[in-house]
Amino acid sequence: MYMIVVGGGKVGLALTQALLASGHEVLCLEIDPHRCGVLTEELGSVVFRGDGCEAATLDEAGAARADVLLAVTGDDEDNLVACQVAKHRFKVGRTIARINNPKNKTIFQLLGVDATVNSTEIIMAQITQELPVHPLVALLSFSGMGLDLVHVEIPPDARVIGQKLSDLSLPSGSTIALIIEADKTVRLATPDLALRGLDEVVAVTHPENEDALREILTSPA
Amino acid sequence: MRVVIMGCGRVGSTLAAVLAEGGHEVTILDTNPDAFRRLPRNFRGTAIVGNGIDEGALRRAGIEKADAFVAITQGDNRNVMAAQIAQRIFNVPRVFCRIYDPIRYEMYKELGVETLSSTIVMSQLFHEAILKAPVRRS
Amino acid sequence: MSVRRFLPWSQPATQKSPDGAKGLDTRRILVPVRGNPADEEALRLAGEVTRRNKGTLYVLYIVEVARALPLDAPMEVEAQQARQVLAEVQRRAQREKFRVETEMVQARDVGSAVVEEAIEREVGLVVMGMSYKRRFGQFSLGEAVPHILQHAPCEVWLCRERIPN
Repeated sequence: MYMIVVGGGKVGLALTQALLASGHEVLCLEIDPHRCGVLTEELGSVVFRGDGCEAATLDEAGAARADVLLAVTGDDEDNLVACQVAKHRFKVGRTIARINNPKNKTIFQLLGVDATVNSTEIIMAQITQELPVHPLVALLSFSGMGLDLVHVEIPPDARVIGQKLSDLSLPSGSTIALIIEADKTVRLATPDLALRGLDEVVAVTHPENEDALREILTSPA
Repeated sequence: MRVVIMGCGRVGSTLAAVLAEGGHEVTILDTNPDAFRRLPRNFRGTAIVGNGIDEGALRRAGIEKADAFVAITQGDNRNVMAAQIAQRIFNVPRVFCRIYDPIRYEMYKELGVETLSSTIVMSQLFHEAILKAPVRRS
Repeated sequence: MSVRRFLPWSQPATQKSPDGAKGLDTRRILVPVRGNPADEEALRLAGEVTRRNKGTLYVLYIVEVARALPLDAPMEVEAQQARQVLAEVQRRAQREKFRVETEMVQARDVGSAVVEEAIEREVGLVVMGMSYKRRFGQFSLGEAVPHILQHAPCEVWLCRERIPN
């Protein structure tokens, strides 16, 4: 797959390296000439100097044949515009934006960005692993479908412990996808699987049902 | 009319002053409080420090009851993002934004965002002025 | 025979010469060509050294493929030109009696492609011709030459054409 990364900051650099390592064709766009020099030293011939929000730059970068555009600059407005130009001018199949202000999630979804990745929420996910609270953490949004991928840890005293997945009455549109057990074993959510304390549950849900889902999975017996 | 203006640069402050003078209820937003020195001393509107791509700041500026919203900061991307928030989230009936880049301007026009490109407008004005100006001979 | 190859992604980082390499090693020489008059002097020089040392000359025609196209795009016009230029190099090698290997390479940019090929083929010397160019009224080295000078581990000789009248 051909992927264009807009923004060569710390996130863009690490992302480009990871995508190259997984065998994709990648191009990293960076507007600042000095930063471009640093990136080229690090990444080689996959760095392109230019404004990733500008149609002319995206055209030269081959956006018309790109499968994915990932906008990961530190400015939400730039990420939004890069995704919109990619989508509407070049018909890029999948646009993914980093959002720095969690409040912007709705507007990005409304304006046709396919997925948003929210650094604040990811950091929150890290923190919640170390805190004795169990909120539902949104990992990824699929905007076209109005669905969120969320993550929740089952508290040791939860009512649902011991229940089979097929016996849970989840809110409509919510599906449990994966269970990660305390010893890091990953299991696909089959109907016969019973929940245990400290299991981590990865589920797909409508944003409006997130609270109900959390209630079911975390409330004490 | 209730008007919210984002960006208190030369154009933003002039527009705010003219509208307020004409009896309209104007609120002007800028991230930099120093920008408000461009407003006339007797400015009758409201000036608020805040970022127009932040929904909270827009609410504080009274976007929910606004009849018109104008995004006129130096940043094209910030302007189109704010304009789209005003249009799609707050359903402001009249929304305008400035875009310098002519290509982006074309695209957002196609997407239904009311935009003015000062680059295009200015070059047209100069073009007309050059063609129409009487030839001066010394 | 000219082969067509693809260089997907050139790693950066200036490489050091292998340990123990001392002085100029001219047994393996690389000459990148573009079919310009500027190639002439580089080929003459490198060919002469190769003949005397009974070494091998690698002549590469590097085609830059725009990002708008996939790296393995057909590039018919350039391939045609490359075949002609490289065939002429082969004839010259027979005439002047030096050993040559030619190849057309499709890459994203000439500079990093030359560096990568120099490393991969373990050449001791890159010889390249360049014309005298001006850009916006100023003398310009272009992008490839500075990159090669900065990153190639081996020796690099540049043959700049006379300043045209």
